Amino acid sequence: MNSKIMMVVLCIGLAGCTTVSPGGYYWGKYSYTYHDLLKNPGETARAAHVVTLQDIIATSNEKDLRTPPGIHAELGNLLSNADRNDEAAAQYQAERALYPESAVFLQRLLVKPKAGAEE
Amino acid sequence: MRLISTIALVFLISACAEIETKGQAFPKMYSETEKPISIVVVPAINKSTAADAANLVNSTLTIPFADNGYYVLPIAIVSDIFRREGLIEGSQIQGIPLSMFKTSFGADSVLYITINKWDTNYVVLAANVVVGMSYVLRSTTDSEILWSYDQEIVVDTSGDSTGFLLADIIKTAITTAMTDYIPIARQVNATAVATMPYGKYHPLNNTDAEAKVVLKKSRENAVMSTD
Repeated sequence: MNSKIMMVVLCIGLAGCTTVSPGGYYWGKYSYTYHDLLKNPGETARAAHVVTLQDIIATSNEKDLRTPPGIHAELGNLLSNADRNDEAAAQYQAERALYPESAVFLQRLLVKPKAGAEE
Repeated sequence: MRLISTIALVFLISACAEIETKGQAFPKMYSETEKPISIVVVPAINKSTAADAANLVNSTLTIPFADNGYYVLPIAIVSDIFRREGLIEGSQIQGIPLSMFKTSFGADSVLYITINKWDTNYVVLAANVVVGMSYVLRSTTDSEILWSYDQEIVVDTSGDSTGFLLADIIKTAITTAMTDYIPIARQVNATAVATMPYGKYHPLNNTDAEAKVVLKKSRENAVMSTD
């Protein structure tokens, strides 16, 4: 119970000011929700991580910051796993526009849905 | 406790003495043809006794390397791909030829991480975590080492004193049980990354070769522990 209250206080505290990392990025709760997802993989953790990724993108746009490496791609991958392929492709496109060195990797992800269908 | 670890650190630095600049230690990171832009992180190999250590490290790795100016391929997706290929442990992935990461992922470099130690110590009034990690970054073009670092750091987790002995004992016990390890994992990664030359997306890219921050011994130890 105590830890829940602390979490709420912490969340309010964090929402108050946008923290920009030393590299000039906004990472939101990335490490926390990704750690939860690794530790307890499941729908709840996945949904929470999607919210984090969306928050990172929205806040970065709002604050005129470059969205950090991998965030669009990671959101795209989660959307693709949920069969939301058009939205996934849009996220991959955004990643590639920001980080051209991701092109080969993203190409691999774009052909992935077919492989998934065969499984 | 914090004082002791500071003294220990100062002692360690003065004992090993030899400190190099980033440029001396990692010349390839300043070469136009060899400097990597993108990094694939292989899931950490956990040799410690803490079961969650690998998750903690994997979830906090991207941020410091991206902040340092590199394109880090999303660890979540990369490990999914490995898992689909039947490669779950970092040690299985270590056997993959480096050139494969270039052809399939388009990555310039691969980062291998070993967690050598993750010990939580709790002695009545004081609590800390001792974390030992080694990092080796290799080129996917010629397999050469681009950057490496090995370190063991002590992070105090006791919390502030309340001024009352009994209260402090209870508080130390509670904070140890509820310690949030994410900031600790972050701190460990950030300490190592501080020795790494900045990358393309950092405003100080190619300006830090003279920074004298690399412990020669730590650079060499990393290579020994992973070879």
